[in-house]
Amino acid sequence: MLKRSKKDENSPLPDSAKPVTPQSNSALTPPVSKGETTTIGEHIAIEGSVRGNENLVIEGSLKGNVELEKHNFTVGSKGRVEGEINARNVSISGQLNGIIKAGGKVEITKEADFYGEIKANSISVEDGAYFKGVIELNREPHRKPAFKEPQKGFSSFEQAPKTGMTPDDTKKEK
Amino acid sequence: MTSATAQNRDNLARDFLPAGYKSTILQQFVNSLGRWQDAQILDIGPVCQENITYFAIRMRKHYACDMFLRLKREGSKGLSSGDVWRHLDYPPRNFDGIQLWDLIDHLDDGEVSQLVSLCYSMLRATGLLMLIAFEKEPALPTTSTFVIGQDYHMSLRPQPHLKLSWHCRHNRALMSLMGGFNIVKSFQYRNGLREFLYEKPGLCRDE
Repeated sequence: MLKRSKKDENSPLPDSAKPVTPQSNSALTPPVSKGETTTIGEHIAIEGSVRGNENLVIEGSLKGNVELEKHNFTVGSKGRVEGEINARNVSISGQLNGIIKAGGKVEITKEADFYGEIKANSISVEDGAYFKGVIELNREPHRKPAFKEPQKGFSSFEQAPKTGMTPDDTKKEK
Repeated sequence: MTSATAQNRDNLARDFLPAGYKSTILQQFVNSLGRWQDAQILDIGPVCQENITYFAIRMRKHYACDMFLRLKREGSKGLSSGDVWRHLDYPPRNFDGIQLWDLIDHLDDGEVSQLVSLCYSMLRATGLLMLIAFEKEPALPTTSTFVIGQDYHMSLRPQPHLKLSWHCRHNRALMSLMGGFNIVKSFQYRNGLREFLYEKPGLCRDE
């Protein structure tokens, strides 16, 4: 059954992930949702691409790509989705097999099964979720990887710290 | 997770699990892989927000495949454990590092051999394999996640949904199962945990 609500009060996304009200026409202002949501009921199966300008919740099944660039996409606990998702924020409580490209956040709850690739600004995964996939976080141009350079290259293996370890009485084995 | 549930987990961890510690092996694993701009790591699970974030912000791409949950699900379906490895269907020589955590503590010797062989195939030459092993079965029967914190500090968080069998081993038995890998370092901590870092032999990294 198709349901539409005017307000997005039942969105599973946390407040921080919900679209914000536009402040101005500044180019820096992120695109926003008008807060309308369509729900695909659990007895509905869709095959084919979906494109829209409002939030979408899938409780049924969907096989195809989803294009909601400025809006949120949710897979409910009974939902099953297979395809490429392009949305602002994505929340998964059901099954999703595919590629997610999110301008905002991806949230995977403990009931979720996810297989695929995620490209997003941030990701949250609850303990208990099944996850098999690849994560690529969007990087700001000036942001550098946070890895520290090894001080002495590969040979540092042979120079494991002998002091300063915690706990102090760590034993080194042969 | 509700705050009550989180509090309950904290209490379980404090009462029944080894205390948190600074992981020397993790530090070596992370710093050594930092040599490569395009390093790829496979995290074998259990899925953990902190660990995913930790590696995702440091890597161009971070791979995770929760084999703990797969083991539990396949076990509850009555499938043979050999079937579970089909989920590790990555190409050969794909990773620079694999985080096994304490997965082998939940596998029998035959299963460990299968897993080690797969890891050997998936790692590039000079790739690193990090694993942790309990000295003895912890009082808390559920599996735990090793959660990476600041400055290579690791703590344990119980996973009540994951109850897997235990196969704790002595060092010699464990190391004999590691096939063609070279041991790089191993540490034993007072809290009853052991950490091992292995390297796939090779003169230079596979491109």
